[in-house]
Amino acid sequence: MTKNKRLRRRKAARILSNLYAVLVYSVFYIPVAVMIVFSFNDAKRNYYWQGFTTEWYGKLFSFANTDLWDALLYSLIIAVLATLISVTIGVLGGIGLKKFEFRTKRFINMMIYVPIIVPEIVLAVAMLIIFMTVGIRLGMGTILIGHCTFCIPYAVVTIKGRITGDSETLQEASMDLGANRFQTFWRVTVPSIMPGILSSAFLAFTLSIDDVVMSNMLAGPSQSTLPVLILSLNRTGITPDVNALTTVMVALMVAGMLALNGVQRYLKKRENRLAAEAESKRSSAHAA
Amino acid sequence: MLKREGTRRGKKRHSRLPLLAQAGPVSLWMILFVTIPMLFIIYISFMTRGTFGGVEYVFSTDSYQTLLDVVYFKVIAKSFQVAVVTTVLCLLVGYPFAYYIARKPPEVASRLIMLIMIPFWTNSLMRLNAWMLLFQANGPVNHALMALGLTAEPIKFIYTDWLVMLGLITNMLPFAVLPMYSSIEKLQKSMLEASADLGAKPSVTFLRVTLPLTFPGIFSAIILTFIPALGIYTVTDMLGGGKVLYIGNIIKNQFGAIRNWPLGAALSVLLLAITALLIFIYMRFAKLEDMEVV
Amino acid sequence: MKKALTLILALTLALSLCACGGGDPKPTGSGNEPSAASSELNIFMWGDYISETLISDFEKANNCTVNLSYMSDNADSITKLTAGAGDSYDLIMTCDAYMESLIKGGYLEQLDHEQIPNADANINEAYWFGDNRDYCVPYLMNYIYIVYDTERCPIDITCYNDLIRPEMAGQIGSIDGARNLFPMALIALGYDPNSTNESEIKEAYEWLTKFNENVVAYGATQENIVNGTISCMLTYDGNASWAMNELGENNTLTIAPFTSDPVQLGFDLFVVPKGAKHTDLAHKFLNYICEPEVMAANLVDFPYSCPNDAAVAAASDAYRNDPAFDFDYKTNIFFQKDVGDALAIYDQYYQMLKVGE
Repeated sequence: MTKNKRLRRRKAARILSNLYAVLVYSVFYIPVAVMIVFSFNDAKRNYYWQGFTTEWYGKLFSFANTDLWDALLYSLIIAVLATLISVTIGVLGGIGLKKFEFRTKRFINMMIYVPIIVPEIVLAVAMLIIFMTVGIRLGMGTILIGHCTFCIPYAVVTIKGRITGDSETLQEASMDLGANRFQTFWRVTVPSIMPGILSSAFLAFTLSIDDVVMSNMLAGPSQSTLPVLILSLNRTGITPDVNALTTVMVALMVAGMLALNGVQRYLKKRENRLAAEAESKRSSAHAA
Repeated sequence: MLKREGTRRGKKRHSRLPLLAQAGPVSLWMILFVTIPMLFIIYISFMTRGTFGGVEYVFSTDSYQTLLDVVYFKVIAKSFQVAVVTTVLCLLVGYPFAYYIARKPPEVASRLIMLIMIPFWTNSLMRLNAWMLLFQANGPVNHALMALGLTAEPIKFIYTDWLVMLGLITNMLPFAVLPMYSSIEKLQKSMLEASADLGAKPSVTFLRVTLPLTFPGIFSAIILTFIPALGIYTVTDMLGGGKVLYIGNIIKNQFGAIRNWPLGAALSVLLLAITALLIFIYMRFAKLEDMEVV
Repeated sequence: MKKALTLILALTLALSLCACGGGDPKPTGSGNEPSAASSELNIFMWGDYISETLISDFEKANNCTVNLSYMSDNADSITKLTAGAGDSYDLIMTCDAYMESLIKGGYLEQLDHEQIPNADANINEAYWFGDNRDYCVPYLMNYIYIVYDTERCPIDITCYNDLIRPEMAGQIGSIDGARNLFPMALIALGYDPNSTNESEIKEAYEWLTKFNENVVAYGATQENIVNGTISCMLTYDGNASWAMNELGENNTLTIAPFTSDPVQLGFDLFVVPKGAKHTDLAHKFLNYICEPEVMAANLVDFPYSCPNDAAVAAASDAYRNDPAFDFDYKTNIFFQKDVGDALAIYDQYYQMLKVGE
């Protein structure tokens, strides 16, 4: 009787929590859906719905105007590189700042927060002046430096939130069991903070792909990133081909995610199979 | 406690290689690209506004005297108001959501996280614009409401506070969800089960076990939402109608159209000082055992 | 699984190291000497603001590459120039209000008028004033005027002072920025729109607080008037043109028939930054866009007001009959001048306006 009641309650809780998740996700996806719908808008500028057309996709894929594609590609390259650099530095730094004591640690810990606190334009202008004084040419390199500067703190903060005492215990156990420092890092530390690494990678990518201020101030003369271009277009009104591009981008990302899923599932299956084989071998060896 | 342990270990191992390898790059980066530019900003905050833009390198405390104007106090108060509202909403909405995801098996969870991030890889300006398109006087929401006979006249959704809040949440939520997720995920299921087995009610387990143990994640979430929200202005400009200036607007204007870099620099220094003080008070107040967070 | 992970992380490290290595000087501009014919032209300007055909025709004719990069804010040009990054570009778009500072600050290269005869021949002298002539070529221009909906707006607007009448509460949309709002108030009060007198600016601020109470939103004026959120707007002629064309036959928008108050006329113009590497091509480009046929073709895609008289004469009927440019007092205009140090005063009152209680 009571068991039944508890089961029923648990079921209700599950339904409720699923509903909640669906609600939150829909709040995230409504703007994306609107954007996709408006990529089929038969209007010169996207201010309201005027009719259905696929003309914008035609324009996009005719590659007559490669501005949008170039900007997208440039943004993607920068975002991927900025993510790789800042996650690597951020993860190492998060661990290092948590684990070690050194004289400048408090100072570095304080500095981590500066790029999050100070409006981007401030650091961007300061960097611009310094780069100009030192004689560094503006270009992808300078944009990358700018992006990493605000991505690294996010990575460090996320990683530090992930590490606590037990991961240290694990590390010590690993060292005690004879693993060297490098092995411990790869085999114990990294897997134990993997969700943190993933989170910080997502944050870094998200911040970089949508950045305007650094990308604008530190950009060289040959190319603009997509958010800068879109903001520039916003002066007179965004045309639906930008929506079309965004739609293609979202479609590619979903496809990428599905592909990743497939790979993950395959790897998992293989791992399970190998593990099962090893297990059966071991048990047969035991039997013998 | 952690600290002492750290020192002891540091002494035991003589090699400084791991320290250099792990803390080195981040330290170098922070010094080169944060400390030096910030020192420069502090320096120009004590300089004079150049008549033709830029900075005239003549010492002056004019910028700081300007900051004594009551208008800046109001601006900062308003900016804090927005940041607090954003943070509270993001925590309230984000924690259960992060919890929901973290309790799923890892493969499902990573997909769910990815699912949150995908919308954020589209342009934020266009996402804000989408809310406007949806809610404007002749937009689909009003059309639907009128077709259903729920309202005769279009309802004014745009340029209202609640649309601004919706925009703020949808822009900032992942920065709250991700750190909390990674912290909750780490929570051992066994510990919760132990608590339940020992007879604790779910609410007690949550308050006495889950919440305290996931506090580092909550702290990260607060830092990553509150502080950026302080400087936010695109959301309020677009969805709120730009009738109110926030600290972010003002600093941007000083480095842009107004060309008063020293004042912009002084404002940034002020913002930095206030935030640092807040974090400090917060740490003291929360009596965080893990003082290393700051 | 673990192997894959290790591989990914190792790759990450390797790649980021490469990226760090490549992180510094990227030779974005070619090292061409100014004396040799340049093969590259770097322009910093607004996005979607110049015809693609124009650019590609110019590239073909001069056997060069034109790199366009885009600004996201009107002030980007001056921020970049004053920070010392001007020499990365050959042409920068800016507006007339910043010209005086840019010239006096020594951020610009003087133009060689012998190389731009088309500009001299075709640009209307009235729009090319003072020292500007030596440093810039106007590209397109915009009026900032009042447009209202004759059916929905409670009153007919004939001067700026009509905007602060209580009937206009919740009716107005406006463009933003201290230097767009204050001149309107100064004119309404009978002062110089570029006043540097603090007490006049203060009065203008008081005028603007009343205006501000009637304003629904700053920005997005054209979409708000079309979707019915507002019935009156202070806006650019380009926005008005879009809104009027959008409403088509149902257009009830009209340009407020001002009788005495002047309207603002602003310019988007090209300057050559100090230290530009490809000044020869920059001059060729400036001369090219001032050719009447070239500019007339450009006006098809970008039907904005144009300072090039010959081009306007050669432009299509659709352009010349655009209702957004059909108003009588086109010559009763004022320009936004550089107000120097008074800018800080404007900003102070602008902040007070927008912070309120």
